Amino acid sequence: MFPVVTRTATPLSNLLAPRIGVLMVAVRGRKSRSDPKAKSKVGRVKVPPPVDPAEMLVLRERFSQYDLIMRALRAEFKEDMLRRRYEEEVGSLAEERTKQEAEEHQKLMAWNDAENHRLRQLREERIRKELEQEQLRKEQVAVSREKRMEEYVKEKEQEILQLQEEAKNFITLENLDQRIEEALDNPKSYNFAVDKEGRIVKRTVQQ
Amino acid sequence: MPMKGRYPIRRTLEYLQKGDIVFKNTVKIMTVNYNTHGELSDGARKFVFFNIPQIQYKNPWVQVMMFKNLTPSPFLKFYLDDGDQVLVDAEGKDHKDISQHVKKILGKSEEVLQAEELARMVHSNPANFGPKKYCLRECMCEVEGQVPCPGLIPLPNEMRGKYKSQMKGTEV
Repeated sequence: MFPVVTRTATPLSNLLAPRIGVLMVAVRGRKSRSDPKAKSKVGRVKVPPPVDPAEMLVLRERFSQYDLIMRALRAEFKEDMLRRRYEEEVGSLAEERTKQEAEEHQKLMAWNDAENHRLRQLREERIRKELEQEQLRKEQVAVSREKRMEEYVKEKEQEILQLQEEAKNFITLENLDQRIEEALDNPKSYNFAVDKEGRIVKRTVQQ
Repeated sequence: MPMKGRYPIRRTLEYLQKGDIVFKNTVKIMTVNYNTHGELSDGARKFVFFNIPQIQYKNPWVQVMMFKNLTPSPFLKFYLDDGDQVLVDAEGKDHKDISQHVKKILGKSEEVLQAEELARMVHSNPANFGPKKYCLRECMCEVEGQVPCPGLIPLPNEMRGKYKSQMKGTEV
């Protein structure tokens, strides 16, 4: 059984007095502080319950032993839990674990960096290709634009030449009299019919 | 109206609990930069659309932020406890690839997760009686098939010490 604790030298009155280390909570009940005492309780003298000294001694002894044992057990379990938690967080195993985790983390970061590097290479390739494509496209656009400009210029030149040709047949102030006389000498009749192919079919003679 | 949004399955508990990325304790902030248009950003967009809800459900204490149309190429950035920043390029990748990658570098492994689950089960023994916050039951009277609480239904006279002592008194 549990070992009995030896009693230290204490006066008898202390041993006989009832336990005062027990917690008791004061409760007010239904009435507040300022309410008067009830009329039936006016002459009442409260007498504490009688205490048998022998019983009190025995009970006190037993309770003190019981309290001691309970406190000891609680302390024991609490210490065990604290030690376990300490081991978990700041023990030799925990240090090794943290070191291992740090190593793994480093490895994973390195792998991630390699992955990023690879993707960067791909991205740079792609951007370079896109730039080249852009350059080619620009050159092509410039070339086509130049061609179009040339064609435009050529067209305009053609028109100018044609105009020059026609200018020879224009009627100017010097030609005026001559052309009038020519027109009066050569009457033209516009009374003719045309078939679907554009050939002249019938002609009426000018009178 | 029970269904909201384009893929309402993303809002179901089953889908969220299927998420398998649980971040390590050092990861505090996760940032995703992506573009709303463009084929290169497609994987990142799908990742944000499908996998971010699962991640946030499994890591409620990690701040997740999304930034749209800031940079030409999409990427993820993680900010750790000790000030380190981890950059993960997401250009041209598929959303499954991205999530696998993230799980590999910053997620808790299967063994760690199982060990944690075991510790949690050991900690919360269902056979314990105690406050509702920590245990399932407080008193035996709460269990079905046991004697009901004497505070609600009075015990039969055979089980009451008061009655028994009274009877003994009257007898003798």
